[in-house]
Amino acid sequence: MTSTFTDPPGGVPGAEAPPAVTAEGVSKVYGTGDAAVHALRGVGVGFAKGAFTAIMGPSGSGKSTLMHCLAGLDTVTGGRIMLGDAEITRMGDRQLTLMRRDRVGFVFQAFNLLPTLTAEQNILLPMELAGRKPDRAWFQRVVDVLGLSDRLGHRPSELSGGQQQRVACARAIVARPEVIFADEPTGNLDSRAGAEVLGFLRSSVREMGQTIVMVTHDPVAASYADRVVFLRDGEIVSEIFRPTPEAVLDRLKALGA
Amino acid sequence: MLRTTLAGLRAHKLRLLLTAVAITLGVGFISGTFVLTDTMNKGIAKTFARSADKVDVAVLYNEKAGKELSAPLLQKIRSVPGVTEAQGLVRGETALVGKDGRTVGDFATIGMSVPSGRLLRYDVDKGRPPSNGGETVIDSKVAKREGFTVGDTATVLDSEERPHKFRVVGLVDFGIDQEASVFGAVGFDPVTTVWMTGQKNYHEIDIAGTASQAAVKAAIGPSYRVLTGPELGAMLAKQAGADTELIRAGLLIFALVAMLVSALVIYNTFAILVAQRMREMALLRCVGATRRQVFGGVLTESAVVGLTGSLLGIAAGVGLGQGALVLISRLNSNVAITGPSLAVRTILIGLGVGVVVTVLSALLPARAATRVAPVAALRAGLEPGGRRFRLGVWRTALAVLLASGGLAIGVFGALVMEKGQVAMFVVAFSGCVFFLAVVAGMPALIRPMGRLAGAIPARLGGVPGRLAVANAQRAPRRTATTTIALTVGVGLMSLFAVIAASSKATAAHKLDEQFPAQFRIATQSGKDLPPALGDDLRGRPQVEKVVEVRDHAGTANGREDAFMTVTASAWGSTVKVDMKTGSMSDLKPGTAIVDETAASIPGWEVGKSLRIKTRQGTVPVEIVGMYKLGEHFSGVILPEADFIRYFGKVAPGEIYVKTSDALSPDEARKIVDEAVRPYPAAKVTSTADFEEQVKRAIDMVLLVFGGLLGLAIIIALFGIANTLTLSVVERTRESALLRALGLTKRQLRRMLSIEAVVMAMIGALTGVVLGGVFGWAATSAMIEGSVFALPYLQIAGFVLLAGLAGTLAAVLPARRAAKTSIVESLAHD
Repeated sequence: MTSTFTDPPGGVPGAEAPPAVTAEGVSKVYGTGDAAVHALRGVGVGFAKGAFTAIMGPSGSGKSTLMHCLAGLDTVTGGRIMLGDAEITRMGDRQLTLMRRDRVGFVFQAFNLLPTLTAEQNILLPMELAGRKPDRAWFQRVVDVLGLSDRLGHRPSELSGGQQQRVACARAIVARPEVIFADEPTGNLDSRAGAEVLGFLRSSVREMGQTIVMVTHDPVAASYADRVVFLRDGEIVSEIFRPTPEAVLDRLKALGA
Repeated sequence: MLRTTLAGLRAHKLRLLLTAVAITLGVGFISGTFVLTDTMNKGIAKTFARSADKVDVAVLYNEKAGKELSAPLLQKIRSVPGVTEAQGLVRGETALVGKDGRTVGDFATIGMSVPSGRLLRYDVDKGRPPSNGGETVIDSKVAKREGFTVGDTATVLDSEERPHKFRVVGLVDFGIDQEASVFGAVGFDPVTTVWMTGQKNYHEIDIAGTASQAAVKAAIGPSYRVLTGPELGAMLAKQAGADTELIRAGLLIFALVAMLVSALVIYNTFAILVAQRMREMALLRCVGATRRQVFGGVLTESAVVGLTGSLLGIAAGVGLGQGALVLISRLNSNVAITGPSLAVRTILIGLGVGVVVTVLSALLPARAATRVAPVAALRAGLEPGGRRFRLGVWRTALAVLLASGGLAIGVFGALVMEKGQVAMFVVAFSGCVFFLAVVAGMPALIRPMGRLAGAIPARLGGVPGRLAVANAQRAPRRTATTTIALTVGVGLMSLFAVIAASSKATAAHKLDEQFPAQFRIATQSGKDLPPALGDDLRGRPQVEKVVEVRDHAGTANGREDAFMTVTASAWGSTVKVDMKTGSMSDLKPGTAIVDETAASIPGWEVGKSLRIKTRQGTVPVEIVGMYKLGEHFSGVILPEADFIRYFGKVAPGEIYVKTSDALSPDEARKIVDEAVRPYPAAKVTSTADFEEQVKRAIDMVLLVFGGLLGLAIIIALFGIANTLTLSVVERTRESALLRALGLTKRQLRRMLSIEAVVMAMIGALTGVVLGGVFGWAATSAMIEGSVFALPYLQIAGFVLLAGLAGTLAAVLPARRAAKTSIVESLAHD
């Protein structure tokens, strides 16, 4: 296995700074007794600021559970998770909600947008929930970069799948959160639309210093990241820096996926 | 297929129950009505059977033969072998005078003979029956109200209004007698009753003894009805039961409204359920279910829901009926409380109506379910809403047609037609037609109305408020049906409120216009007032105007008719009538004006003359005008001087009094009371009293209607809760997304309450507008010169209540939505 390790993390951006999100000995058990399922078994991992990290693993490896716990959507059974200097594993529902609203962005695989709101309303939703005034210049820039300027008045049902995901990305970025969690953001898209979305996510990291954690099972999508973390049976088993699709695929094969 | 349906129902017990609630309430109302009325009838039958038990044979007046029950007849019956006792029952008006020296109540009390022996059929609550001409018994209720007790002396007026003093020896419950329970009663021994009431004949002769029905019949001949005791009991119970029939019919009308609302709720619930289970239906079609089987599956489901709801409803009905009985018996002591009576008929009707209404309501949704293409199982479900909504061409055309038709008929009924019952029916019909238009067109109205009703919450409720308003408008058809269920109840309530307020205003206005006097003096029985009273009043200081109304029954052109006149100086100034042709000032000596019904009599035209039979022989009088019938006048009106010359100085039937404006109402009242003191039968009512009475009576009716319509509104609220619950299920992922993006649980709950409030407001506003408009139409169709009044406060109250109720309806769905785990909902496909 050592032969597949790539370069040490010398040139990865932000590697020296304190991590944006850290998991320490995080475990998650569903059910009790004989029916207990250990989704996460003592996961310890840090996600560097200003870096694009992908989490990969075979089905049932716990990658989505890990992301849900990191984002404060789900509770942990053991261990702790830090967002910056805040321990989110000690927060109640209300604090968690406000933390998500103010400090985290999301892009999901599907059903990212509210059908009753226009694209613009969807993009501004988290900021409105927080009662914050959007920065119009920044909004305009994000919308221009994502090519959504002429789609702002449309409702989700009038947008293509790729456009919908781009609206979701815009929503995540406009609020300038400390970290964006993306759960299979290209899972429902064709390869061209997927490449657009991934390219945008990567450039937001490179050019705007955004921090992104993405769960995926697509080696090509993972290759857009600066670093790939591999999970199997609820444990982190290896990682790759500056991945290529081939390297990711090889590592997955080695993990027996 | 049946097994699949039943398994599905078992898996969703809560959903089944929520849907069934609408039917439960409707059926509960229906079966409750039957339980109540059956139980009342049972109690009545029991009471009468017990009282009639004391009578062995009864002789009654036979209308066909027309032979009165006379004193000689009673003598004849007494001599029949086997008759141990026979008593003639006498009744007539004998007004009890209260402790204040005035006759009690609005109507004269009934004088009834109370036999002292075996044949006494009333319960003596206290003391004993009267045994001689100086004694009386008083109805317990009246005695309690007026403060009489055994040992008191009471004054009672005879049929000629002469006062007589009696010693009160007992308090009797005359409750089983219909008339006595309405007007109140005093009882005397049979002989005294005869001279007090002035009645020479009996209305019933009761017999005790061994003589048979046949023997009595043989002795008195075939001109009378002869009944056995049990037959008499059954007959009396049936007469008393007529009231129960009326109550039943009235309640069933409201039950019908409740069932209509239930049907709307059921239809909506099934439509949403089918839409949500498209994939399930498609999967069934994939694995080989035919359209017919899918259709049958949905219908079976509705039948099970209907059956469950109806069974629960019948159980609820027993409780409801018994509860209402306890309430009624507290208000009216004549209604005895017995065990609830649940007839097989009640169960059959309840089950039948419940199941049929449910299955019928589910027919359209079931048909929609069969239209699902099998491949839909493989596609991802489409979220409803977010798309543009268009009302179909046919539906638009239908809505426009019905709306314009309804309005046209309504305007015709309200403005063009002759006022009266027929016009009111036409307006009611137009209301129904217009309501159908609203049903058809409501989906198109939801978005504009949602913006209106949501204007405030969208501004003040922040993001949750705006989302809620958008959500309420996203599925216009669904929201339309949900809100219309509420429109029915709120609409009818506002309709009644408007009609009630307008009736009050109209009554006050008419009174003011026709008799701007403060007091009206008349006797309870409609007999004439003492002739000297008018002049006595005129002679008192501070009395400004005294108007005497005299009437006389006579003949004109050979027809029997009523002749009326009023104090000459008041005609045209204080007293006004609505003239149809001619003017009031045309009434000069030698002329007359007639009421509008005369138009249909040949020869009774303006300009022609009437030949009136008078003391001085037949006199020709010219008709100079025709007036519209009002509260006070009918027949031929003559100038006062002519009237007195023709018929003599007839004692006035009514006197109106106006006192100086400088007096306080109490001082004014004192002056009038002083004048009538010597005449206990003369009853003084102030116009303020009268208005108060009218107001109270109308308010009472409104309260009862409101209470009965309340159920329709409660059912509609279950409809809102139901729609919201199903929408919450449908939007699980959407709610999860919002929660992930930072919507707090409290904001999520608030969002759903606002959505419910917006829906309730749409329904309530529609109802209020419909109720107001058709209330106006009904008011103007009711009578000539009606005054429209809008009860602003009440209507604002309805809207406010609907809003509050909407919040209440959202409690459970909102709690459920807030409890759902975000992660599971996001993973949920």
